[in-house]
Amino acid sequence: MYIDKFEDAINACRFCFMCRHLDPVGNVTFRESDIPRGRALIADRIRMDPANLKNRDFIDTFYRSALSGANRTHCVSHYDEIGITIAARRDIVEAGFAPQKVKSVADKLVCVSFSISGKGELLYLGKNPSLYPGCMTITGGDPGKALEVLGFFNESQKVLEQFKQKVAESGCKTLVVAEPSSYHFLKENLSEVKVVHCAEYLLEKSAGSAEQRKAFYMESDFLKNYCDSSEIASELLEKSGWNLLPFGTNTEESTAVGEGAVVFDELNPELCRKLCHHVVELAGNDTKTPFVTASLYVKQVFSKYEPKIKIMTIEDTLVYEG
Amino acid sequence: MHEMILSELTWAVGDDYVQNNDADSLGHSIDYYWVPECWHDRGGKPTPPDFIVHPSTSKQVAEVLKIANTHKIPVTPWGGGSGSQGGALPIYGGIILDMKRMNKVLSIDPVSMTVTVEVGINTQHLEWEVNKAGFSTMHFPASIACATLGGFIAHRGTGVLSTKYGKIEDMIMSLEVVTPTGEIIHTLPVPRHASGPSLTELYLGSEGTLGVVTRATMKIHMIPESRKFHAFLFKTMHEAMDAGSKIMTSRLQPCVVRLYDENETEKLVKRVLGIDKQGAYLVFGFDGPEKIVDLQLENACAICAKTATEDLGVEAGQSWWDNRYKFFYPPYMFHMPQAFGTLDTVATFSNIENVYWAMKKTVNENFPEATFIGHFSHWYDWGCMLYARFIIDEPPEDPTEAIALYNRIWDMTIRAAIKEGGVINEHHGVGLKLGRIMRDLYGPAFTVLESIKKTLDPNNIMNPGKMGFPGKGV
Repeated sequence: MYIDKFEDAINACRFCFMCRHLDPVGNVTFRESDIPRGRALIADRIRMDPANLKNRDFIDTFYRSALSGANRTHCVSHYDEIGITIAARRDIVEAGFAPQKVKSVADKLVCVSFSISGKGELLYLGKNPSLYPGCMTITGGDPGKALEVLGFFNESQKVLEQFKQKVAESGCKTLVVAEPSSYHFLKENLSEVKVVHCAEYLLEKSAGSAEQRKAFYMESDFLKNYCDSSEIASELLEKSGWNLLPFGTNTEESTAVGEGAVVFDELNPELCRKLCHHVVELAGNDTKTPFVTASLYVKQVFSKYEPKIKIMTIEDTLVYEG
Repeated sequence: MHEMILSELTWAVGDDYVQNNDADSLGHSIDYYWVPECWHDRGGKPTPPDFIVHPSTSKQVAEVLKIANTHKIPVTPWGGGSGSQGGALPIYGGIILDMKRMNKVLSIDPVSMTVTVEVGINTQHLEWEVNKAGFSTMHFPASIACATLGGFIAHRGTGVLSTKYGKIEDMIMSLEVVTPTGEIIHTLPVPRHASGPSLTELYLGSEGTLGVVTRATMKIHMIPESRKFHAFLFKTMHEAMDAGSKIMTSRLQPCVVRLYDENETEKLVKRVLGIDKQGAYLVFGFDGPEKIVDLQLENACAICAKTATEDLGVEAGQSWWDNRYKFFYPPYMFHMPQAFGTLDTVATFSNIENVYWAMKKTVNENFPEATFIGHFSHWYDWGCMLYARFIIDEPPEDPTEAIALYNRIWDMTIRAAIKEGGVINEHHGVGLKLGRIMRDLYGPAFTVLESIKKTLDPNNIMNPGKMGFPGKGV
């Protein structure tokens, strides 16, 4: 089983509570199964008796995780508790026990057809090509990250291969990526081209702004806890005249409402609504100050569940006239 | 019957807040006590609860206790589950009353410097909330990120700054409690009075056996202008203890004093802090207005300088503070397949070293497979707490044998400590682990506690089998 590769993390996390305060799902469900210790105990039980892999309660628990990197970042030894969950999902999928709702989402994600438009030396993956004059744009769907976190590793690799082929056809040597999940995935998997996050690219191009505006910045789980590069987004925002207000009670807790799980809302809509509500509470129910996120996923779910809140992506802020 | 009780419970707290699935049951069948960890590690299945219930109000707690009384079902309150004594284990099944949903800060009184909260709040979350208002609870236990305030109240927990700010019983002003029969009561609003015995004190340390604490008002403090640390190395633990006790009996007011014996200095202090020295490591700190901190620090350093072999300085002290929780993260904490136990004992300065040596001798002479280490963590003006530990690297593979060995070590060392004037224990509580020792510890006075339990909880639904009280059906 793939979880066997995470034996060290399972052994470390199964009896450890030291990061329980940071699990975003645990903090709204209050369930012992929704913290790294709970998931590690389940993985351990499965390792002891693989028949437990088909236990519906265990499967549901793994798919309820938001895959936030906050816990792993907090741990002094950085045990990869996310790795346990993704490996368990892969074991579940490859044993044929994936729940129907997971399979349905995966079926949609497999149906991609990448295409390239425009002319230029750089290739852009995102929804705001007008911000990147002189760049080609690649469209067609998620490049494989969502399938990977759902446990459909082989399907993820096939989609990635299609994406790689299109990138190669473009002849570009630099790929600018807007969505942090895709950025993380492509940075790890594309060796032929340089992968940069859109904030990094835009920061270099930005002339800055003297205008002063205020916003709450919701840190991206991927930029902060997976790629250790949260500063690129905040630097761009500050240079663009955004004064980022302190938010919540601490800087460790993830406010990314399931961004780490990429398609979290499709699997767990009620839980996603709770996560969004929790974030609004952390911001003191302030409906006047806009929120800024690096992730289009976060913007979409926030707009859906907290429509009173004004939320923008980093790219949106560059054309914001509010 | 099971379905009928489930219906009653979901009616009381809502459909989403009652679970009886395998995933949550597994999480609630194991706490931080070594025994269920061992059972799990060896492939066993510790007893799960029948129902996991998450109330959101005191009224809901009362409803659940009434249901439990009607059906005579055991109720085990659960906070963060990070207790080391098995106090939150549902050893007879029944209802786990998971309190984490009751996590609201209700009010902060900046005039009296108190905060009123629901006690299911995670203590790190509580600290962050009061920090936001410009205050601190000054409650910094190693389990700050894991445990709830209710958990600390239940077993009289403590934090690293206890020497100045006290244990949880010194921090709590008043409590709201749901009695076993479902009445919601409030203790008097201040802890110092002459209006009879303290009901607040009755519930502090009662480990969910006398009712369920639902709200608390606790002290908060200004964030100090300055907090400074200093460390010294002594040739032996005895010399370091002498210096530490002089700091306390000279009535200086450190916020923390911690002394590691030679074994622990060599092993843990080196591993976690990177301080590679032979001898006994003593660290202390002061906080408050900087001038006062400096003056107290100067006095404490002067006491230590008389007998210390090395002044390790400010950096070696600050390093301890910065890494104070690191000791408890894996892989620094002891872990399976090792067997380990914390022989937490408190005694006066006159007795504490005798307690240490009696426990050490007991372990060394009777259990050659075990290593004994210790440090002294929480200091008072009359004595201190010994955080002694035994570790067996290769305990028996058979869990029954391993647990029997584990219990034998506890039984012998604790009784040796009691004989030397030690009290078991200072801040981990009694739970399942030490219930059998309560009669030895209290003598005839234990019948008073038993009478209180019988009167308040006639059906013995509240956490049966813990704290030396009868189990289910007894």
